[in-house]
Amino acid sequence: RLLAWMGLEISTMAIIPLMTQQHHPRAEEAATKYFLTQATAAAMILFASLTNAWLTGEWNISQISHPLSVTLTILALALKIGLAPMHFWLPEVLQGLNLTTGLILSTWQKLAPFALIYQIAPNTNQTLLITLGIMSALIGGWGGLNQTQLRKILAYSSIAHLGWMIIILHFLPNLTLLNLTLYILMTSTMFLSFKLSMATKVNSLATTWSKTPPLAALTMLSLLSLGGLPPLTGFMPKWLILQELTKQNLPITATIMAMTALLSLFFYLR
Amino acid sequence: MTPTHFSFTSAFILGLMGLAFHRTHLLSTLLCLEGMMLSLFIALSLWSLQLNVIPFSTTPMILLAFSACEASTGLALLVATARTHGTDHLQSLNLLQC
Repeated sequence: RLLAWMGLEISTMAIIPLMTQQHHPRAEEAATKYFLTQATAAAMILFASLTNAWLTGEWNISQISHPLSVTLTILALALKIGLAPMHFWLPEVLQGLNLTTGLILSTWQKLAPFALIYQIAPNTNQTLLITLGIMSALIGGWGGLNQTQLRKILAYSSIAHLGWMIIILHFLPNLTLLNLTLYILMTSTMFLSFKLSMATKVNSLATTWSKTPPLAALTMLSLLSLGGLPPLTGFMPKWLILQELTKQNLPITATIMAMTALLSLFFYLR
Repeated sequence: MTPTHFSFTSAFILGLMGLAFHRTHLLSTLLCLEGMMLSLFIALSLWSLQLNVIPFSTTPMILLAFSACEASTGLALLVATARTHGTDHLQSLNLLQC
């Protein structure tokens, strides 16, 4: 559908000047990489809907019925939001930006592709979604283990969260929306608290205890909530998703997801 | 698949491969992006001609306008990269490696 494509392109183009405001070579390199990946993904979405229009005569994006088109659309949208195996741009791009721009990138830019994903949810290929989700959670967990730069840690955590969201898409799309909302809230909290303490490495986080103890406590709490421990809000979507997965007789998938959550929790707690 | 469909599908896939596997210059990536947009434009025009759907006859023009915007954004980024990095070789885009 044309309006969807136009909306995606406009949002891409609007973010690019924001990213290059800081006249640092890293920022411009990040902007270039981001632009390339997003433009490719937008073109692929258009191509998928066009193929579908040729083959089945249906131009509405919520009624794509040809399996090849659906697969291609899902892959293109995954490239847009940073799901594995197409996640390679996300840590580098987030690293090159300052914290506010990175916040906008991780939260607002995910809303538009998710609106599209939500619309095409009933037609999707279940195996592909589960594969993408498990891979994202795994890569998000493993990749973040060796990082010291805070923005890269946040990038890998967002990859893992997106993996969780995608897994449940086929069964219960409303859970995906719930997970997305909570993820946006938690990530905004993290970014804003990092910005207030002006920390970009894990080592400089240790100095926040002496500057503003309440902020340090808040950061710790929200980190734990991102990890998904029981008494905090972050646990709720994970619990609901696991419940839904076991209802659909997929216990192996549920176990794998729980273990990858442990991986992310490990590098949060450092 | 009709021959028309096959031809623009292959054009798009060729452009996509060129975009994914570019080696030295950033400009070739932008060119491949433009090639992909052009193949989409041709496909869209042919589709609205073949199926005689009137409401979608303006979409090729809109697509063309937007792909021009995309190309200009890409070129502006290329100029910015050339200003800071010196060349547009891909080896110089490694400042953000961990």
